[in-house]
Amino acid sequence: MEKIVGGIKRDCYPITEAELLHLYTMSFSPTQEIVNLGTGRYLQMPINNSVLREALNRAVSRCESMRLRLWKEPETGQIWQYVMPYENQHFEYYDFSGLSEEKAHKILDGWTSQPFDTFGGPLSRIVLVSMPNGYNGYYMNVHHATMDAAAIITFNRDVMDIYCSLMYDLPYPKPMTSYIESVKKDMEYMAGCKKKDADEKYWAEQFARPEPIYTDFTGPGRLQTQRRESNDPNLRAGLLLSRDAAGSTVTYDLDVESTKKLVDFCAERGYPVSVLLLHGLRTVLSKFNNAETDVCIKDFVARRSTVLAKKCGGVRMHCMTLRTIVEPENTVLESLDIIDKAQNELFKHSEYGPMTFYKTQRETYGYAPRGGYESIGFTYQPATLKSIAPYLKGIPYKNFWYSSGKQPQAFYLTAMHRPNDGGLTFHFGYQSDVATPQEIEFLYYYLGRVLFRSIENPGATVQEIMDMV
Amino acid sequence: MFEQLKELILNYVEAEDDEIVPDARFSDDLGFNSYDFMCMLGDAEDEFGVEIDEAEAGKCKTVEELLEYLEEQK
Repeated sequence: MEKIVGGIKRDCYPITEAELLHLYTMSFSPTQEIVNLGTGRYLQMPINNSVLREALNRAVSRCESMRLRLWKEPETGQIWQYVMPYENQHFEYYDFSGLSEEKAHKILDGWTSQPFDTFGGPLSRIVLVSMPNGYNGYYMNVHHATMDAAAIITFNRDVMDIYCSLMYDLPYPKPMTSYIESVKKDMEYMAGCKKKDADEKYWAEQFARPEPIYTDFTGPGRLQTQRRESNDPNLRAGLLLSRDAAGSTVTYDLDVESTKKLVDFCAERGYPVSVLLLHGLRTVLSKFNNAETDVCIKDFVARRSTVLAKKCGGVRMHCMTLRTIVEPENTVLESLDIIDKAQNELFKHSEYGPMTFYKTQRETYGYAPRGGYESIGFTYQPATLKSIAPYLKGIPYKNFWYSSGKQPQAFYLTAMHRPNDGGLTFHFGYQSDVATPQEIEFLYYYLGRVLFRSIENPGATVQEIMDMV
Repeated sequence: MFEQLKELILNYVEAEDDEIVPDARFSDDLGFNSYDFMCMLGDAEDEFGVEIDEAEAGKCKTVEELLEYLEEQK
């Protein structure tokens, strides 16, 4: 729809539920930097900065969501999005090579905590940087309502592919797809279609089930306290509230050999790795909550299945409750089957918007705003080094995710494969009011034990696994 | 029906038309992951007007196997 924005005609589009999720996060945070995503990509090799600038400019010109702006219509308060025409930029260069690694990253953490002018200005910032130990590349900060993690990974790959094409006369990468086309598809879905009808029918059936129960990652204490405070001994929904969303991250690296054991088990048995990790998480939550059989985890879905969605950038992440009921006498393999089935169903019906999902869930079961049944969010990111331009294979490189000092989720786990060796990294984000590093270490310790006892004893019952660990 | 399925598959993979052959394996040859496959099944329900059981269809490893499964559901 054509709108006059700042005196200029723009083709404006409504925002999607995936985008709205981030603006909703912002609405209850005292500070705006909660939606910042700061990343750095550095290669241990000399970089030709003028070629890198050219590659970045070309990549931005091919990626609509890197030029996305948000606009709040003054008369109605409705939020719209539009794509700014491409303009060549001169990306600044900063030399941190003489600093300690800690000091250099601290500066970039600081930049990541600088809020964007959400409804009035550019929603991304890129600078070229030289880091200690011979690493060179670029730092990028984006507004999360315009780019999600999958979009950033795709954008970075495009930058490096273009860089290699220009530097080494390699084939030029295929074009990206249009984010606006993907937004239009989301709008068509929202307006009504057979798929939406099927999704609504499926989720209505799920909401017709008896009320789930909240299982906290520290045990039943939090729910018991909330039951006392609310004078409701039957309360089943929990609340993870933070005063200021201040938070941090804790990262654990699983070694390559151990990762291989998990991945090989999944390949041999035909399960996605995410299913095994979810089995580990839900078993730990069950163990910590008096062997509760009914466990919910907030499952984040990248929604990057079609070619259009894989290459369009932007924000497509949806999340919803993955609810599984596993009895103590079920074997590990039966648990994996139950989770696999539940996740496949969730995948198939994941177009259903997350805002609609949680609104309906809350209205159905009547819990307090921002309450729910999940104490932990989960994402599995299988991206590997294979995605980078072949010329750069074997050259050490690092990807960094910087902290704005605020966490949008109370507690979440992102499991991803390291680009350099394929080992699994468990990246926990947490709000300081909600979790402590010690609690996370405790959870991670049990998660590891459950995973390895499970693959060593796939015929054992879940109760036996809980007893073993 | 094969051509219809091929067109659907091409929405999900950056492949050439002649790479979508009956014995192409979704995971090993075409690069599908479980999420891609489940989404494609959702589209297939619309496209072919059938109801798909995820667990049953999930056993289809090749294009031909999925085609046979869809034909049975017609």
